[in-house]
Amino acid sequence: MSKTKELARHKRDRTWMWIQLLPVMLVLTVLFGGALVLGVAQSLGFAPWFGVNTFPDFSYFGALWGDSFFWRSLGLTLYYAIAATLISLVMGVLLALALVRSFPSKSLYKYLYKLPLMIPYTVGIALAVIMLGNGGMLSRLMAFAGFIDDPSQFPQILKTHMGWGIIAVYVWKQTPFVALTIYAVLLGVGRETEEAAAILGANKRQVFFQVTLPQILPGIISSTLIIFAFNIGAFEAPFILGGGFPDTLPVVAWRYFNDADYTLQLQGMATVVSIALVAGVILYSYLAFYRRYERRIGRH
Amino acid sequence: MRKTMLSLSVIGSLMTGVAFAQDADAFRDGFIAGDISWEEVQARAMEEGEVNLYYWGGSDQINIWMDRFAVPALAEEGVTLNPVRITGTKDAVDLVLAELGSGRGLGEGSVDAIWVNGENFATLMRQGAVMGAFADKLPNSVNFEWNPEDPRSLLNLRDFGVETNASEIPWSGQQYVCAVNTDRVASDDVPSTFAEMRAYLEANPGKFTYVKPPHFIGNTFVQAAVYAHNPDGTGAEPFQSSLDELGAEELARLIAPGMEYLREIEPLLLGGDSGNARYPEDPNALNGLFLNGEIDFSCQFGLYGVATGLRDGTYPEGAEQFIFPEGNMIKNKNYLVIPANAPNPAAAMVMANYMASVDSQATKLEIAGMPPGVDPWRLSDEDAARLDAASPGLVGVTQAELDANTAPDTNATLVDVIEATWLEYIERDSEESISSIVATAVANLN
Repeated sequence: MSKTKELARHKRDRTWMWIQLLPVMLVLTVLFGGALVLGVAQSLGFAPWFGVNTFPDFSYFGALWGDSFFWRSLGLTLYYAIAATLISLVMGVLLALALVRSFPSKSLYKYLYKLPLMIPYTVGIALAVIMLGNGGMLSRLMAFAGFIDDPSQFPQILKTHMGWGIIAVYVWKQTPFVALTIYAVLLGVGRETEEAAAILGANKRQVFFQVTLPQILPGIISSTLIIFAFNIGAFEAPFILGGGFPDTLPVVAWRYFNDADYTLQLQGMATVVSIALVAGVILYSYLAFYRRYERRIGRH
Repeated sequence: MRKTMLSLSVIGSLMTGVAFAQDADAFRDGFIAGDISWEEVQARAMEEGEVNLYYWGGSDQINIWMDRFAVPALAEEGVTLNPVRITGTKDAVDLVLAELGSGRGLGEGSVDAIWVNGENFATLMRQGAVMGAFADKLPNSVNFEWNPEDPRSLLNLRDFGVETNASEIPWSGQQYVCAVNTDRVASDDVPSTFAEMRAYLEANPGKFTYVKPPHFIGNTFVQAAVYAHNPDGTGAEPFQSSLDELGAEELARLIAPGMEYLREIEPLLLGGDSGNARYPEDPNALNGLFLNGEIDFSCQFGLYGVATGLRDGTYPEGAEQFIFPEGNMIKNKNYLVIPANAPNPAAAMVMANYMASVDSQATKLEIAGMPPGVDPWRLSDEDAARLDAASPGLVGVTQAELDANTAPDTNATLVDVIEATWLEYIERDSEESISSIVATAVANLN
């Protein structure tokens, strides 16, 4: 009797679990999975609505990967994404460590640093153009002060392949995000272990690398994962602030989609699938590497 | 009882939907055959009640004109004009083709009219996505020259060499002109040929650039350079034929010197000294470079761009237009096309008729600086004088000088190939010969 009751309850619990999972599952499989399948199929030559159907046809990937400019675009894409992620990480961790200490006007500062989180990327890009461009505020002020004759002589910051503008916008927007994540982790673990280590004679360096860093590592991994995934697929900043040809891969894909020639859309889809592949491989190995590290130090 | 009523009304509304679509087809066929009077069109337009015009919304002046003049004028006809501002004309073309692909025909789509020309119109024609020959049957079509015997009718009958078959009506005429700030450049230094431009850039490196193809403003600059370097010295003439007539090899021979020139000047363009010449993405970006003094000359479509810029205070006082390149200043028209699945075909025609009126052409010229698309010799003296009076005026050049240096546009089938060649030969610095690049581009298009 009690066994059947238990079984019934168990069944109810399971049903309830499925109901909880269902909405997200539906969105993931139907919208995301469906789009992914369609995208891969299209990149392999399946587009009857443009009068093209040569499925399966690897020539679009062949043409793309056989072109040296694809690899230069990939290099630029990875360079902007990794540089911005690393700079944001360092600045964000420093900011979070500062925020757990107390200093004058801390409560005001705690609101202030979050400001870029609420401002869209496009506005950040516009700010970069207005401030750093060759017709921007800085160049005009310099010309006004007489350092240069003409705003156009101001050193080129935006629209170069060094990507200072792109990286600046990403860092401006992502440092607070990293800081917020790490700060939450730091508040969770408290400062007792650090103090204990300090009492036991560890210097500041040892405290950070042997006590604090392992504690905030999960926060570091999750926040860098998120911002790197964004950076590698982002379009607006490299489009507006980038140095032109060769462009980053998302911009290359956009150019294919935007061409008056419809058949180029398949080439564009192959580019998009390539971005997804590269991002997927990098993010997966990053996570796998971290899991192995965690198992080694005995965390599960 | 209630249920029956409900299902009846649902069936009823479904049936009117089907009936309406069939009725729209009949209306189109009747109008094109000349069986439907203009009064009937107006009555039907009032019933339809609204019209969705998709157009490039990047110019404040055009948007202001649209809201302050076109919308009220059509309201008097009982039609609500919805101006849908898009960033690229291709977006509207995509929408039309996608909806046609999903089986939505006349009366069922969402785009009533598109401001269009060149490759986008050629795409619509190729896909059979235009409603049909309406343009020469509107009351205001008398303002245009339709007689093919008259050479002046060319721009009304062909759009980048593609026959329009009256499925689009001219809206505005444009010419490619360059602007200079005379406060920065002495008038003796202003170039009027491509050779003089190179000499100027050798003395002042980095002070010029052009919009990046495949944007049509960039394509037009490339076409002008190709015309001017035509090895036969026949300028634009051979580029009026289609790709099939000309053949890939002949095209490669004709464009090679122009492409060579563009490659040679690349290190002298903006940013070229660092090995990476900068080509702005669109005319707004080009204008920004010009107004900041980063470049000395800005070339784009806009006969009255300098005059309206001076009036609005966006251009520096020394800004002037100049003749460049001599004899090869490309002139074309742009049009309003009604797609095959326009939801409100009658209202679209009433709108097109208004856009072709002298009244709308004159206010548009005055407010937005858009040159008229109507042909002045078809107008009464009074109307022609009205257009003259509305013109914001030319700055630094005369109409006679412009007329003397006019060249026609390139056939739309060649534009794709020339554009692909530029991307390969100039942007990607391909080491292949121009003839093999052209051959590949032609093969890819088919």
